[in-house]
Amino acid sequence: MLWAYIYCYQLTLDSHIQAATSKRAHRQGARNEANGSSSSLALNTPIAVYCSKTNKITQCNDIAKKEGIEIGHGLAQAAALCPYVHILPFSEEAEKHMLTQLAHRLYPLASDIVLDNHIHSNSVSGLAVRLDNLIHYYGGHKPLWKTLTQALAEADIHYHFGSAWTVEAAKVLAQHKYNTYLHTPDDIKKALSACPLAITALSSKAIDSLARVGVTRVQQLLAMPVQELGRRFDNNTIMYLTALRGETFPRVTLFRPLEHFDNFTLLPFDIENTQHLTPFVTQQFEHLSHYLRARNLYTSSISVHIHFREAPVMDINIHSALPQSSVKSWLPLFSLKTEGLELPEPATAIALTCQQFEEIDSQNGDFFSDRFNDVAQKQLIGRLNAKLGDNSTFQPRAADSHQFEYMTVTEPSAGDCTGNYAYSTDITPTFTFDTPKPLIQATQICFGPVRLHSEWWHDSPIKRDYFIAQTEQSVRLLVFKDEESRWWVHGLFC
Amino acid sequence: MKKSLSVLNKHPHIWRARDQKQSETKFSLGFACLDKALNGGVASTGLVRISSLTGVGELSLFKQVICQYRTHKLVVFINPPGLLQSPWLENLGLKAQQVLVVKTSAEQESLWAAEQCLKSTACHCVVLWSNAINQKEARRLQVAATHNDALCLLYTPPQQQAPSLNYSKTSLQGGLQTSTPSQNDSSLPITLDIALLGTPHALSVNIRKQRHGWPKDNIVISHRWTPDNHAIKWAMAHNTLSDQALHSVN
Repeated sequence: MLWAYIYCYQLTLDSHIQAATSKRAHRQGARNEANGSSSSLALNTPIAVYCSKTNKITQCNDIAKKEGIEIGHGLAQAAALCPYVHILPFSEEAEKHMLTQLAHRLYPLASDIVLDNHIHSNSVSGLAVRLDNLIHYYGGHKPLWKTLTQALAEADIHYHFGSAWTVEAAKVLAQHKYNTYLHTPDDIKKALSACPLAITALSSKAIDSLARVGVTRVQQLLAMPVQELGRRFDNNTIMYLTALRGETFPRVTLFRPLEHFDNFTLLPFDIENTQHLTPFVTQQFEHLSHYLRARNLYTSSISVHIHFREAPVMDINIHSALPQSSVKSWLPLFSLKTEGLELPEPATAIALTCQQFEEIDSQNGDFFSDRFNDVAQKQLIGRLNAKLGDNSTFQPRAADSHQFEYMTVTEPSAGDCTGNYAYSTDITPTFTFDTPKPLIQATQICFGPVRLHSEWWHDSPIKRDYFIAQTEQSVRLLVFKDEESRWWVHGLFC
Repeated sequence: MKKSLSVLNKHPHIWRARDQKQSETKFSLGFACLDKALNGGVASTGLVRISSLTGVGELSLFKQVICQYRTHKLVVFINPPGLLQSPWLENLGLKAQQVLVVKTSAEQESLWAAEQCLKSTACHCVVLWSNAINQKEARRLQVAATHNDALCLLYTPPQQQAPSLNYSKTSLQGGLQTSTPSQNDSSLPITLDIALLGTPHALSVNIRKQRHGWPKDNIVISHRWTPDNHAIKWAMAHNTLSDQALHSVN
């Protein structure tokens, strides 16, 4: 067996950042009234997640780390180090929700997933994915792992991972921040040997008694004969140890996706106005539409639950006459429904549930044609990147510039860019060259001139007159004349 | 003998020039005379080779084919001859999420990537730039495309008319290929093979080979793919108001 363990060490923080940035993007897109305080919150302030049960900081972002806050500090210490730190409460319930959502995201790609967020394991949350039975379908270790990591990158979470023969062993590697994909037993054994015992799930008592006989690393544990262990420890510990050594495979409860749709989002800040809920609800509707699309379903009723600190949960049931699935159709209904609604107190979280689904009639043939498209696209990109290298595929995106050099940004196709601003012009060529080439053939100008200055913040200001020119073979080129009246070819119109 | 011939005659893969009626789906190009010569347009699946210089409007010619069909699927550009500009794609009518660019370092890699894209069922159209393709490779792409309901546009440099150049090229490769290049060239098992030739005011299309149809040369279409100063020139030419007339307003 081969399992990968994905150790999500800052789920609460990740979801907060996601919610805050998506809100910002939405704001920019809709060109709403400016409200800078909330939008810059996620990116520029130190944020720490505080667990009140243990009085410890459990997660903090880079800015907080720069201020000197470390994981394990108390609240008072953190506040003393950085008085303006933004504290988020840690909630096991919420982390579990987020982990389940992540599992739902991975489920179309991997069948056997184990959720691991036991209370005794002290705020560790992670997922284990069984890989050996999938390799056959993906055609190798590399494409499979690329596909999974791409899905994780899209989920936009921070994680450490490890892979080994059992969930337990993979978890040790992930907590050791090994972050390398291994599949041969020798490599796994070598990697495991280097791990200290403190990061295993052994009880402190067992670690103590092992330390007394000089066992401090997993290596020594792996070398020990089983009878030796049997004399020393109770049954549970033995079971764990044999699993760690890859000798037994303990029973695990596999994750089963819910039969109905249930999505929960913690809001990054308290919201008093239903209008400000819209971006977060839009996000949830997007999740819903993906969910329905993948399952070939429609729905005619959904309910939005708004959570508050004190007041009971508010349920808003929305029905539509026609079964539908898209964001476009549900969002207007939601805004109509909540137009006159007043919240009793600031909302802290929202959830979207959907219980009743309706099958799509099969007469609508074109629905089937793109049903598996999303997964197929991901698999394709994963496969291409696996063979040709990570930077071999990209999607061109519009950037904020009017200059031909900077008009398009190329980024790896995994990124989910929300560029709302796109500079459009009808004289953009199909292709530009990396650097302009001198014009060396006879041409005739058929369009122009268009004068472009570089932006003032660029170091070397340039002023160019652009033309579209045609050669004798009727090839159309984008040419320009620079300030010294030299002619250059910059692109092609295909 | 007669019997076996009549059996052969019934074989569905044998096409006779007198059967014009075909039930296959065609994508119209939007140019009436070209569509007529192609019996309705480009076939919806298969490999199409376009040999032309880069920059004669060879991509814009397929604007309707690329943008109007199977819009939920990807359009993949493999090994393009420059940096693909997103505003141009937008003007053409493609959404950014729909486009994927693949950069490869070797010819074999781009053929491999094209085949993977076609087989993935996630692509509507694969646009591939390649210098040369042999029969076997063409056949692979053709089969991958037709079996997965996808279209592959292959752009190659214009073929030399003089065969001497081709000969020298194959002899460099080791002379293993026994078939002569000119034969090889025309016998590629593909759906459509066209050559584009730019003339100053129009684009001339030569259909060199098409499935279920006859080749046809020199179909001239007026194709505009860039903005031009036509409006200004027209206004200048039709300006009947002389200077004096302008003054006379005062």
